[in-house]
Amino acid sequence: MKKEVLLVGGFHKTMYLAQSLLDKGYGVTVINNIYEDCMALAQIEKLNIIYGDGTKPFVLEEAEAHLMDIAIALTKKDEDNLVICELCKKRFHIQKTLSLVNDPQKINFFYQMGIDSVVNAISTVSRIIEQQAFVDEMTEIVSVDDNRVNIMEIKVKDKMPINKKKLYELSLPENSIIGYILRNNQGIVPRGDTRILEGDKLIIICSKNNQEAIIKEMTGQ
Amino acid sequence: MLEKRIVVVGCGRLGASIANDLYEQGEDVIVIDKNEDSFRKLSDSFGGLTYVNEGTRVETYEQLELKKDDILIVVTNDDNVNIMISQLVRKMFQIHTIICRLYDPQRECVYQEFGIETICPTYLSVNRIENILRGKRSA
Repeated sequence: MKKEVLLVGGFHKTMYLAQSLLDKGYGVTVINNIYEDCMALAQIEKLNIIYGDGTKPFVLEEAEAHLMDIAIALTKKDEDNLVICELCKKRFHIQKTLSLVNDPQKINFFYQMGIDSVVNAISTVSRIIEQQAFVDEMTEIVSVDDNRVNIMEIKVKDKMPINKKKLYELSLPENSIIGYILRNNQGIVPRGDTRILEGDKLIIICSKNNQEAIIKEMTGQ
Repeated sequence: MLEKRIVVVGCGRLGASIANDLYEQGEDVIVIDKNEDSFRKLSDSFGGLTYVNEGTRVETYEQLELKKDDILIVVTNDDNVNIMISQLVRKMFQIHTIICRLYDPQRECVYQEFGIETICPTYLSVNRIENILRGKRSA
């Protein structure tokens, strides 16, 4: 069955997200309390748009919130996002709620309030910038389970201490693993006696706390 | 042991008058508002603490070192802000008594499981008007 997604508030993010979700085959409804934004959003085909304040129960009712599978709160105000998600959860019994939060100090509080996923744009973006700016060797880091687990990619260079070593010779920190090696566009699931070569891309899964130790071990920096 | 304090968040008409009244009654009152000008609504004889800070921030309440027995009255002019502050403070300090003003009675359901007292001006006015009407009829 087609999944129905409700997006409340926001404009640029909402527009992009709505288009992307529609392309993936979701049903998408948007609630926005700025009339001009609604008109602009209306350019998107197949998008349902409700003009109104999404923190008011009757507006959510009009948007048929009880039929939604996922609710996403994207307004600029933390308090509005909180109330939107709580209403969606408690009154309309939507399975999954997701909220943006501006103040990093409120992330835990939002989880405690029963919101299923909390995204803090500021900390997310600054973390990416930090990674990109200071660690050349790493091309990408993906965080899962609320940043507790990281999946990172390290490209092996000539001068790195791990170059030409076998996996069992490395002393990786606990709870970390080299899960996959990309070599000449081919994938290898490594074993203990697999030798790391220059140009390999290592896909490493580790807990967040170990990330720095691993980078140090791998790159010598 | 410190005396039980009453913290009023939002120094609007309601916040200022309740703060004035409680201070007159000898309570230990703290008023929080993000805007210093708002404190002009307090009477000249008000001797409680005024505190300029954003009521939605976690630090504001950490600095006050709230205790379980303190009382929180949340009366900013934004329902959603009031809801968030009430829940935040309840979670952070397990304060027993939190009273919160909500303009829109429809949002009350968000509170129910938290045991936060809500007052709704619309309901109060409806009750009062009905009482007056009833009085007129019976007279």
